[in-house]
Amino acid sequence: MFTPAPWRLITDTALWSENWPGIPRPASGEIKTRYTHCALCPAGCAVRARLVGSQPVALMGVPAHPLSLGALCPFGLTGHQLPYHPERLKQGPEHEASAAVAGAIAQCAPGERIAVLDLRPGRTASWTYRRAMAAVKNGVYLTAPQPLEGAAVNLAAARTVLSIGAPVMEGWGTPGNVLAARAGFRLIQAEPLESRTASLADLWLRIKPGSGRALALSLIAQLEGKAMPAQAAAETGLGESQIADLAGELARNGPALVLAGDDVPEAVPLNRLTGAWGKALMARAEAPVPDSWKKAAPPAGLASVPDGSIRALLIDESVPGDYIPWNAIAPKLVPGNPVVVVFAWSRSGYGRHAQFTLPAAVYPEMTGDAPAAIDSPAAAFRIFTPLVPAPSGMVDPAVFIASAAGIDASGALRERADAIHKAGRGTLFTCADVKSRPVKELKPEDFWKALNEGGCWMDAGWQAKPPAPLVEGTRWQAKAPASQEASELPLLVALTDLPGSAGLVSPLMSKLYQESNLRLGRNRAALNPASAAACGVGEGAHAMLQTVLGQRPIQVTVSPSVPPGMVEVGASPEILDICGAFSRARVAQS
Amino acid sequence: MTSANGNNKNKRYGMTIDVDRCTGCGACMVACAVENNVPPAHEGATERKGITWIRVFKVDNGEDYPGKRTAFVPVLCQQCGEDTPCVHVCPQQAVDVDPATGIVGQMPERCLGCRYCMAACPYHARYFNWWDPAWPVGMEKTLNPDVAPRMRGVVEKCNFCHGRWHAAKQRAAAAGKKEIQPGDYVPACVEACPAGAIRFGDLNDPAGEVARGAKNPASFRLLEKLHTEPKIYYSSKRDWVRRIADAPRPPMGKENLRG
Repeated sequence: MFTPAPWRLITDTALWSENWPGIPRPASGEIKTRYTHCALCPAGCAVRARLVGSQPVALMGVPAHPLSLGALCPFGLTGHQLPYHPERLKQGPEHEASAAVAGAIAQCAPGERIAVLDLRPGRTASWTYRRAMAAVKNGVYLTAPQPLEGAAVNLAAARTVLSIGAPVMEGWGTPGNVLAARAGFRLIQAEPLESRTASLADLWLRIKPGSGRALALSLIAQLEGKAMPAQAAAETGLGESQIADLAGELARNGPALVLAGDDVPEAVPLNRLTGAWGKALMARAEAPVPDSWKKAAPPAGLASVPDGSIRALLIDESVPGDYIPWNAIAPKLVPGNPVVVVFAWSRSGYGRHAQFTLPAAVYPEMTGDAPAAIDSPAAAFRIFTPLVPAPSGMVDPAVFIASAAGIDASGALRERADAIHKAGRGTLFTCADVKSRPVKELKPEDFWKALNEGGCWMDAGWQAKPPAPLVEGTRWQAKAPASQEASELPLLVALTDLPGSAGLVSPLMSKLYQESNLRLGRNRAALNPASAAACGVGEGAHAMLQTVLGQRPIQVTVSPSVPPGMVEVGASPEILDICGAFSRARVAQS
Repeated sequence: MTSANGNNKNKRYGMTIDVDRCTGCGACMVACAVENNVPPAHEGATERKGITWIRVFKVDNGEDYPGKRTAFVPVLCQQCGEDTPCVHVCPQQAVDVDPATGIVGQMPERCLGCRYCMAACPYHARYFNWWDPAWPVGMEKTLNPDVAPRMRGVVEKCNFCHGRWHAAKQRAAAAGKKEIQPGDYVPACVEACPAGAIRFGDLNDPAGEVARGAKNPASFRLLEKLHTEPKIYYSSKRDWVRRIADAPRPPMGKENLRG
């Protein structure tokens, strides 16, 4: 009884059982630092990677970086874990896809098209797609719609910012830049739900779902001194005096910048009236490209393509970008047997609808570049330097598409860098020594080497130019549902955006989505307690979200912050495919 | 012991968190998990069984729109300085307060998993490993070599990134210095916060940013009435946020901050 032996045995057994089947032991090795840029969103923040040997074990921001100012969002902080995502595609039918695309190009009838859909335009890969589509008979280069007609924003110049549903404080633009400029402007958020941006705004205007355009039109009428459009104020849910006060504030406390998504095309005219154009909003020149590239297909919108005309569609989903619901794309394909090839990290996005899904390298394996973000008034050029090698079997979409079109794009990034160097404008910032040097002082080799070591080129400045004409038919329209009866579908859907078209997030993001209530995860839906009771669902219940386009399983969260009559859904490609913006839905217990 | 310049020889590391700057992005939560080798959630983990050494809570003033106001409050181990509740209740001496740093440390090797400390902690800042720590295949290569993953059946919590403190001590020693210089040692959450809302330093250094921040009139601590002398100082210019510190309003009618 008093001998320590049995107690020691019990302790050792307990320890052994706790350690079984074995806890991973972190590898040790030489600690190194490397610099690159994040590819997970268009912001392209600078990244300082801590490596053990050649393996990145932590990512952080670069405090002295002139564009990202040291900030990195939670998605960027966990980027080094993405290559090990359990849902990742490891192989795909590359040769079969190549043969099918070659066959489609050869058999393309006069009224038919070969199309590339680029979800993140402006990259060097985008230029490759445009060149490829110019080289192919009936080729067309399709892009996702751009907010504010592709204009650039200078937040530092704004004294008031009216955001009509733009997630200003939730990953919009470059997080570090937004936070640095935040103290200098009054933020007014017009949005139906209390998003994080609405929570952090100086004033939150709770407008009715889908009434962003009505608000913009009402403000335009006010600022032009005309009568407010009939019913526009009622449509927004705001009083006429509230809109008049808002217009007065925009006129009084300028430059007043109006930010909105592509669903509010009146945002740019509104910015002209508030005096923001040329000061806080402007057209921006792109980083120089080689002259030989300029014979490229122009960007076109999905709406400009006739229904039933796309013989082969190649979708670059390798970098996260805006997801265009499949029901907007499907009608554009030829009936019968269209060829759809998707380059993606998993099948959770367009891969669900494609004939061929080819595995693509993910950040930080991929090589590519980031053009200037929306909140950068000057052009910029940054390279995603791979931190780890991509596994075998990955397909580079630019190489695949260039090869199908018979052009050579293997050295496109280097050619672009040389063109920027040749132009001789701007400065190069290097992270390792925290210095900016004029490009003119650098040799082409040194410029290229510095870019590959995390350097960032920035144009010399910006000039206000007239806005480029809106790309014809850029805005997509989801197929209008036949009928959305309020009695059958009592809830209005509000989507909470997740970055990335196909939800490429580290499993460690469960800290935010599953292990806390900080963010609404994929396929989770939040309901007001009264709405939840009316639907017969409770906290954590597994239910179905039904719209006229289909249904998807969801898990319910009950939250008083969601207004009655609405359901807030964590957006995912599956959800986006059945929910247009502010469609009606019903939640039923599954 | 007090030195000539008024500084105590021992450090008393603490934090200031500006609630008015926190945007609720969660960067601190994931940076902490990356740094301290906290695994992704087990399939069965919920907000009650998950492990988040620092967790951002969304709180509001209790009013409805348009009077509703919201704030984000990061809550981590408050590093109690007096009558540290978790230290008193631990039957295994698995919790201690390092006199050199003031950091409340947890030794998983000694922990027997009784969870008395979790019950005693007024801030619900301690977490139990309900499952074996597991990472998706290959992701274990991304583990931080300076921190050992904990086993199933033990409690863990924030230790101000103790691995970073050791590394900073080694760097200082290698440079022939006896002391860690301010800024050489900061926890991962401080480094990751894009809003600069979290600051870290020695509360015994009266000239330091954190010691000065702790004396700010807008500064407050959570559940100060318990006299546990936390070393995490929050600040907000909003009265309703400061009031919440002493009487947290449980969201959704649940029984504690963690749900």
